[in-house]
Amino acid sequence: MDEHLTIRFGKESDQKYLIEWLLQPGVLDGFPLHDLREIEDAARIWVSYSSQHAVLTALWDGVPCGIANLYLQPYKKLAHQCLFAIIVDEKMRGKGIGTKLMKDLMALAKERFKLEFIHLEVYEGNPAIHLYERLGFEKYGVHKHFMKDKDKYVDKILMQKVL
Amino acid sequence: MNSLEGFDIRYTLPEDLSYLQKWFEDPSACNDYPFTNDEKSDALKNWIGFGKYKASLTGMINDVPCAIGTLFLMPYRKVAHHCSFYLMVDPAMRGKGIGTSMLKNLLHLAKTRFRLESVHVEIYEPSDLLPLLLKEGFVQFVRQENFVKIDGIGHARLLLEHSFNG
Repeated sequence: MDEHLTIRFGKESDQKYLIEWLLQPGVLDGFPLHDLREIEDAARIWVSYSSQHAVLTALWDGVPCGIANLYLQPYKKLAHQCLFAIIVDEKMRGKGIGTKLMKDLMALAKERFKLEFIHLEVYEGNPAIHLYERLGFEKYGVHKHFMKDKDKYVDKILMQKVL
Repeated sequence: MNSLEGFDIRYTLPEDLSYLQKWFEDPSACNDYPFTNDEKSDALKNWIGFGKYKASLTGMINDVPCAIGTLFLMPYRKVAHHCSFYLMVDPAMRGKGIGTSMLKNLLHLAKTRFRLESVHVEIYEPSDLLPLLLKEGFVQFVRQENFVKIDGIGHARLLLEHSFNG
């Protein structure tokens, strides 16, 4: 794996990969996004953090295959922590890309931004919950019925990890 | 007209921003919000901006604004059945039941105009807003320690929800 997988800082131009991966079948079940307009809006915000070096892009043989970002807080009172997001190209899952991205993101959060903890929002049934648990994230709350998709409610699970 | 003498409520207008700014002149007014005194300018403009969706109410005493409550409508369809809100009462007009009246009207707006199923709010300990929220049927569902840090001391954030579905 090591010879194939590298991590670099994200760029605004990575937005097209993010949009492509969000549009893959079934992926939007795990995101509160409905259509292309919403996906483009969320992707634009996501990669905008690249200007602060808070986005990491995973490359497999030089081709983007995953992106993770820190939603750095805009306010001083909250600047010791932040939310993050991660996505891996559906075709490239099971290769340890998510784990590597997460470990590098946690190191970035701790060393560059001096964050004390990071937290995430994940929807019930998302298999990524096991990855987060394996990496030491702990559940601190559930927002019931947060997402409503085709009249079916999905709970949002809130997890965090002290760095 | 509300039972409070001279009290009425209308939709928020852009010019109400000047009142909101005035109520936030006391730096301690920011204690209940994520922004600090130095950061409030853009935050207050964004807040008032929801008035264009008729999602914001201004309380008036004798035609003078005394409170603003605003629903922060969600931008994405799958989460559009709920939202959070902010509420601010003129510090000089507290203790008269204005906050209670504003909250009741805001919940009514959420339920009847926007057909929301629930409304939630984020507060930071210690918060004077907690007794009012509990009285109006809000239920705490999340407590996150150290979410806010003021002068090096961590404070928990609490998330509370009011459901219209019983």
